[in-house]
Amino acid sequence: MLTYIVRRLLSTVMVMAIVALFVFSLLYIAPGDPAAVIAGEQASPEDVEKIRTALGLDRPFVVRFTEWAWQIVRYQNLGTSMFTGLPVTELIVQRIEPTLSLAVLTLIVAIVIAVPMGIVAAWQAGGWIDRFVMAFAVAGFSVPVFVVGYLLSYFFALYLEWLPTQGYTPISRGLWPWLENLILPTIALGFVYIALIARITRATMLEVLSQDYVRTAKAKGVGQGSILFLHALKNAAVPIVTVIGIGVALLIGGAVVTESVFAIPGLGRLTIDAIVRRDYPVIQGIVLMFSFVYVIVNLCVDLAYTALDPRIRY
Amino acid sequence: MDRRKFLKSSLSVGAVAASGGLAAPALSQGAAAKTLKFVPQANLANFDPVWGTQYVVRNASQLVWDTLYGLNSKLEPKRQMVASEEVSADGLTWTFKLRDGLKFHDGEKVLAKDVVASITRWTSRDAMGQMLKAINKELTAVDDTTIKWVLAKPYPKMLYALGKVGTPCCFIMPERIAKTDPFKQIEEYIGSGPMKFVRADWKPGAIAAFEKFGDYAPRNEPSDWWAGGKVMSFDRVEWIIMPDPATASAALQSGEIDWWETPLTDLVPVLKRNRNIKVDIADPLGNIGSFRLNHLHPPFNDVKVRRAVQMALSQEDYMRAMSGSDTALWSKLGSVFTPGTATFSDAGGEVLTGPRNIDGAKKLLAEAGYSGQPVTCLVAQDQPPLKAMGEVTADLLKKIGMTVDFVATDWGTVGQRRASKNPPGQGGWGMFHTWHAGADAANPAGHIACRAGGEKGPAWFGWPDDPKVEEGVAQWFDAKSPEEEKAAMAVANKASMESVTWIPTGFYKSFQAWRSNLEGVSDGPLPWFWGVKKS
Repeated sequence: MLTYIVRRLLSTVMVMAIVALFVFSLLYIAPGDPAAVIAGEQASPEDVEKIRTALGLDRPFVVRFTEWAWQIVRYQNLGTSMFTGLPVTELIVQRIEPTLSLAVLTLIVAIVIAVPMGIVAAWQAGGWIDRFVMAFAVAGFSVPVFVVGYLLSYFFALYLEWLPTQGYTPISRGLWPWLENLILPTIALGFVYIALIARITRATMLEVLSQDYVRTAKAKGVGQGSILFLHALKNAAVPIVTVIGIGVALLIGGAVVTESVFAIPGLGRLTIDAIVRRDYPVIQGIVLMFSFVYVIVNLCVDLAYTALDPRIRY
Repeated sequence: MDRRKFLKSSLSVGAVAASGGLAAPALSQGAAAKTLKFVPQANLANFDPVWGTQYVVRNASQLVWDTLYGLNSKLEPKRQMVASEEVSADGLTWTFKLRDGLKFHDGEKVLAKDVVASITRWTSRDAMGQMLKAINKELTAVDDTTIKWVLAKPYPKMLYALGKVGTPCCFIMPERIAKTDPFKQIEEYIGSGPMKFVRADWKPGAIAAFEKFGDYAPRNEPSDWWAGGKVMSFDRVEWIIMPDPATASAALQSGEIDWWETPLTDLVPVLKRNRNIKVDIADPLGNIGSFRLNHLHPPFNDVKVRRAVQMALSQEDYMRAMSGSDTALWSKLGSVFTPGTATFSDAGGEVLTGPRNIDGAKKLLAEAGYSGQPVTCLVAQDQPPLKAMGEVTADLLKKIGMTVDFVATDWGTVGQRRASKNPPGQGGWGMFHTWHAGADAANPAGHIACRAGGEKGPAWFGWPDDPKVEEGVAQWFDAKSPEEEKAAMAVANKASMESVTWIPTGFYKSFQAWRSNLEGVSDGPLPWFWGVKKS
């Protein structure tokens, strides 16, 4: 097992190197000019050119890539934002807490709601609860995050005046102020994940509940709760955990929209701002960080399989 | 107490218990009244007003850095950091004396050497500054409070240059900061303005904060735009970045923010219906919509083709597409300059505001020998006004029989591609859309777009070449009275209309909105924070 983990971690380095080269190349050939954006609307072409030179954007691809990669490898330095003049690491650190809070809370809420929903739907397959869960799932997949966000904001923040419409308060300033700002975004973002996880849970549980060992358990007089949660759920857990792992990846995309709708200063908005302005070092830094997160999440999911299913060994 | 506050206070009790007392320190009502929450037009992505010339940077910089002069609402330069000035009889030597009590945020006195360094940096980037640099003989600090500037040629617009609102403005920084290469960003944000920049709270894309500078000594005069006493009633001003207009609208309605600089026109009716919100025109100088034509390559290197487009286009179509049907917000404009100012001229502008002539345009195109070559039309889809203009233009060109190569892209790409002098088929362009802030376009001072010096310059993208326009501009710079300035602008405008250097698509204004408990919000080309109070 330990060898497997070490091997996977080593492969992470290779994956990130490939990602780094790919992103750098992509940004190099993409149209757009940060110097023109910095110089502003009234700037003369000469000024734009001088800024481009000052930023080092006139240097060859190989020189720029080598310098950037060396800074990362040698000094763990992701570079400096071309626009803010701040280190990319500082910008990412500033934005991690809101995104992490939103992502973790959304995952918790989604799992806590969706898994029981899926189990009950499978148990009552064909009944009204099952139909309700499926209708909810269809709605969750169909309605875009921003629509859910605006509806929630209008009803709970503007109409009922229960919750703020926007913003983020760090958890260091108190549990309720932190939570207050995250309730609506979490529901908005969680909607689709609840739908996804509930559907997968239902489908997997349906399959498991039709197995011989479940029928045997029922025949032996095992209680319904034990059958569902101890016998069936454990065996249905592998696909559910896989979907949750994929969900983490999808969460990043959803967070971009949710952070915009609720004005949460997270990594999603940082990414969009950087792309719009062509702030290459920031884009590269964020993509590298996300790719690292994905690799680690996948590793965690793979390791979770061994805990859930003793037959799986690495 | 509203429902949210009630709910908050009730839940806070529980939360305190649950979290072991980890509740937030509540702001008292007095503290809340001393904090202004403002949503600016864009993200404050950098904070160097000379290096980055975006309007949002200038607007934030006015809080932190002071200027020698400031324009009032009549666009007259008035003394700000300066106590007195003197110009020699031949107009070649200017002597400025700084007023008493000027201090930087680090406690150091503002000295003449700081002013010299700041002016030197500014003259490398600003259009008027570059003119001054070209005729500069000597710029020195005579003593701690006196600056002497000797020129090779008189420059009557000196005070206007030092106090103008067009970017980049001549902000005064400590010498050590002002010595930074003008094409590199400063790393310290020390000014002598009424507010200090709170570097630790700056999260680009999220928030920028400013705290009152206790040692700031405002002029003992009423404020009038950038002139007069900058008296701040807030201890803290927070700029909260909200990329989504619907979110900003909701936040303003719920009282989470106090002031929104640029509400989306579509959302204004909702805001106007709310009795807790006031909505009014933000800037009487508004904006000029425009499209630039590439004079270097066919088809727009032929004046007949440019005139064909000019005589066919309907500014009303553009303005309705951009600003809606509220005619209080827009008007036709037969000028490359901002209407409503004392020296405005629309001489020759009837070609834009008179009856439209599609048939005449087709005839002119035929005379020019236009044979259907595609017009590469760059349209930034991420800028709603530009997208709207682009779609109207595409329709217009098709109506007069031109072939359109509609390049739907983003502003970053337009910014890059418009600098290319290559033919349209080789990475160049035929036309692109943009706009000019009315304050910049009020006269030729900082209005590089009105220049027509051709490829060698001065000229903006499209590189129009018309000596008559340049003659008018030169006359303006030499003008000694408003009458002379007006006459010069008439010359420049008439020539510009005749040779179609570029095409204005109309004049439009936008709204600003604020909570009704905010007093003293005034109009202007940028949001003025002095004189604003919160009850």
